[in-house]
Amino acid sequence: MFRRNITRFSALLAVGALALGSACAPGETIEEPDDTDNGTQAPAEPPAVEEGQFAGETLNYLYFTDGPDEQATRDLIADFEAEYDVTVELEILAYADLISSLNARLSGGNAPDVVRLTGLGEFAADLLPLEDYLGAEFADEFLEGPMMAVRNNADQMIAVPSDLTMNGPLVNLEMFEEAGVELPPTDDPWTWDEMLAAAHEVQEATGSSYAFAMDKSGHRVATVLAQYGTALLNDDGWALDKEAAVRALQPLIDMMADDTMPRDFWLGSGSRYEGANEIFLASDTPIYLSGSWQVGQFVENATFDWGVAPNPCDVECGGFPGGKFMAALSASDNPALAAEFVRFMNSTENQEHFASVSGNLPTRVDLAEAGVSYPAEAQAAMDVFIADLNRTAEVGFVANAQPAFGASGTALTGQLDMVVAGQKDLATAMDDLQPEVEGIVEEMGSW
Amino acid sequence: MTPRRRKVPWGLRLAPYLFLLPNMAIFAVFTIYPAINGVNISLYESPNGRVFRWVGLGNYESILTSSEFWQVARQTVTYAVAYVLISLVLATFVAVLVNQQRRGQAFFRASLFVPVLVSPVVVGLVFGWILQRQGGLLNEFLALFGVDPVPWLVDGTWAMVSIILVGVWTQLGFYMLILLAGLQAIDPTLYEAAGMDGATGWQQFWGITLPLLKPSALVVLILGTIHGFQAFDFIWTLTGGGPVGATTLIVQYIYENGFISPIRYGTAAAGGVILFFVVFTLTIINWALSRGKDDE
Repeated sequence: MFRRNITRFSALLAVGALALGSACAPGETIEEPDDTDNGTQAPAEPPAVEEGQFAGETLNYLYFTDGPDEQATRDLIADFEAEYDVTVELEILAYADLISSLNARLSGGNAPDVVRLTGLGEFAADLLPLEDYLGAEFADEFLEGPMMAVRNNADQMIAVPSDLTMNGPLVNLEMFEEAGVELPPTDDPWTWDEMLAAAHEVQEATGSSYAFAMDKSGHRVATVLAQYGTALLNDDGWALDKEAAVRALQPLIDMMADDTMPRDFWLGSGSRYEGANEIFLASDTPIYLSGSWQVGQFVENATFDWGVAPNPCDVECGGFPGGKFMAALSASDNPALAAEFVRFMNSTENQEHFASVSGNLPTRVDLAEAGVSYPAEAQAAMDVFIADLNRTAEVGFVANAQPAFGASGTALTGQLDMVVAGQKDLATAMDDLQPEVEGIVEEMGSW
Repeated sequence: MTPRRRKVPWGLRLAPYLFLLPNMAIFAVFTIYPAINGVNISLYESPNGRVFRWVGLGNYESILTSSEFWQVARQTVTYAVAYVLISLVLATFVAVLVNQQRRGQAFFRASLFVPVLVSPVVVGLVFGWILQRQGGLLNEFLALFGVDPVPWLVDGTWAMVSIILVGVWTQLGFYMLILLAGLQAIDPTLYEAAGMDGATGWQQFWGITLPLLKPSALVVLILGTIHGFQAFDFIWTLTGGGPVGATTLIVQYIYENGFISPIRYGTAAAGGVILFFVVFTLTIINWALSRGKDDE
């Protein structure tokens, strides 16, 4: 009898808990999208930071690392702690856990003071408008392109583009030399036709498996689109010129069809991102379209002479931007300290140190003009990327700044999958892509 | 006259539940509560797990009217059915073979169990290399017999075959151990008696081994069904659900909705609830069918 009662009690408890759980909202609920524009005029001059103003305080920095940047960050934090007499708790998470952890901390009322992010869209409402603390002119210290991604709907600067990457072609110099094919000079880029012709010539001369390889990534495909003068998105949503897209992407599809570009690599990775760096490192291709973040690992791992060629041009030149952002949280207990930390970490001297050690490109106007001193073995490659940064078209920066860019890029690679598998032609794929991307933009815009 | 039952003191009756309480508390906090909350979340839309918009059964409606979901469901059923059947037959076969070994049985048991211990991510990566069309170990081996390269991972049908076989390989040792324990629990005198009656090895297998192995086979059937419907990790690293979604199963569908932009926590939670009810229903059916036959 007792056991039966306990069982009944447990069952009732479970049903009650289920009903109660279902009756309560799992978090903050909203009825309508919040379009409130709460923009205010930022002071032109930053409020002065007095000596010892932050002494004894603690700041929490939520961070993920790509490897070499960690030591650079630790170096700069040590300098900040010494200069301001504060403690910085550097909390390093795996990138895969960063977003869910930040969401959990924000909903639990335990926000970090500063965070490193790859995209701002979903946290835009949680980030601190920096100009209120650092002055309206602070934004002018950074390049216009990367700055497009850090302004909210009220045109407030809610983060600093702390490090920048640039997509571009990495080349196997030994294979080019063996084939007797010249690379273009940095200041006089080749066209897409010239680059692919050179790739095929080198493949034929060296017997490499492929002529050309690129990462399976919407971001990388967007590079090609931008060079043909179009992009998936702009500030108004869907922006793709389908004819230009077909012109841009058909050569890649054709190369995968005749296996001069790795078709199995593209199809075999499903909906995952996949880097083709192993193909390049195995000397299976003379040209590999990837980006500046590969420089560090190629310096370490490549067993041949390699370099970076300028991005090919069609309608536009230059590459396609990416990178990370450093932002302070509005919910920080000490927003002034958080903003000052962001400023300190991105001062000319400190960003140069960070860019140099981590192998990233600068986002500051002064550094982009003057250049950055990288380790000797990486300097030539990074110089080409910086040259491409300075001629990268606005269409790329605008596209990359859209919150729906990542998801739209995934939709693009999904459509290309079907083209590569022979299930549809490229023009049909671009037609089918439009409602998909428009749906994504509408869905993400509804929050 | 039946002996009068001694009344057990109240404290003693409560004791087992108190002993269970710590474990049940952890189970409640980390399993029951998230499960209930998952049902709750499935009734909302959310892009981040912080802000929610009530949609009622809207997520279920959008899933059940989505052609993508039904494609994924068909593929999941194909995978699960093939995985369970092949696993059951092969594990039984291997268990019988191992059980007949007089020497080195521990070695075979351990060897066959090793894949169970390998990280699914590693399994995916290693088989990714083995099954490559160009230069893959398996195709290089087949080429010795004049077989043309098989597109194991880049053709939809072959990719499904590949994930089924890799899935079977990863868990075969586990199922084999369950069945081996069942085999070793069969009274050997039954075989002796059957032998004296002139039964052949096959007759003994069909008449003694299989019927008495049924309880263990039921465990394998239920666990295999659960594993089959929950397969994800090694498939994600092996094929990424490709080519063109041909090996995307239900858990990957849930994962992609929950963790890949655009994030749809509500849809992911609704997918999880649907998966739970499907697996729960199949388990009950398996159990009921088996029990029904036992009762006949």
